[in-house]
Amino acid sequence: MQLFRSEEHVERWLDRRGYGGGTLLSLEQVWGLADAWYREKLSPNWRRLTLEEAEAVFASLGLTGDFWRLRPAH
Amino acid sequence: MFTKFDRDVRLALFDLFVELGQAPGPEEVAARASATVAEVRASYERLDEQRVIVLDPNSRDVWMANPFSAGPTPFRARHGERSWYANCNWDGLGSCAMPGGEGAVDARCPDCGETLSVTVSDRRPRGDGVAHFVVPAAHFWDDIGFT
Repeated sequence: MQLFRSEEHVERWLDRRGYGGGTLLSLEQVWGLADAWYREKLSPNWRRLTLEEAEAVFASLGLTGDFWRLRPAH
Repeated sequence: MFTKFDRDVRLALFDLFVELGQAPGPEEVAARASATVAEVRASYERLDEQRVIVLDPNSRDVWMANPFSAGPTPFRARHGERSWYANCNWDGLGSCAMPGGEGAVDARCPDCGETLSVTVSDRRPRGDGVAHFVVPAAHFWDDIGFT
């Protein structure tokens, strides 16, 4: 995940590299991911989030749809 | 999930990364975990298999102990006097989440090369910029270096 000056800079970089569209996130959404993933990382009892838990974090931040799906759709 | 030994190695690795501001050598982790270097390297392999850390494909040294990167990246996170390279912007902010929700991340815009700074205080990010993912979530680990 990269941080760009603006959406215009994203578009220009994608065109130059020939990548597909991907998806944009606000700083608040990135912070939500960072906090959920790493807040407990220095705890002895830390464990990786399950796929279900990770999808719940995505959904709580408004990150939904195929791009954020970790498990096959029912 | 983890054996007690792998949990100790993981903690030693991350604690030392925070303390040193860079990846500790396996000797330093071994000393902290009261183990041999061979035992630590064997543990690294198990942690890599479980995607807890990422080893360099050639040297088998630690490449990523997410959120930290052992090598230079365009993402530099700071907390007080300490600083670390992070693997991406998510990880840069993640290194601010660990020590109490404070810190800052400097990232280079891939398009124009300008340095963008995001500060975090009271668990709230402030700064300019927009984040972008190319790779869908289900494929993050297909090539974690690219992701």
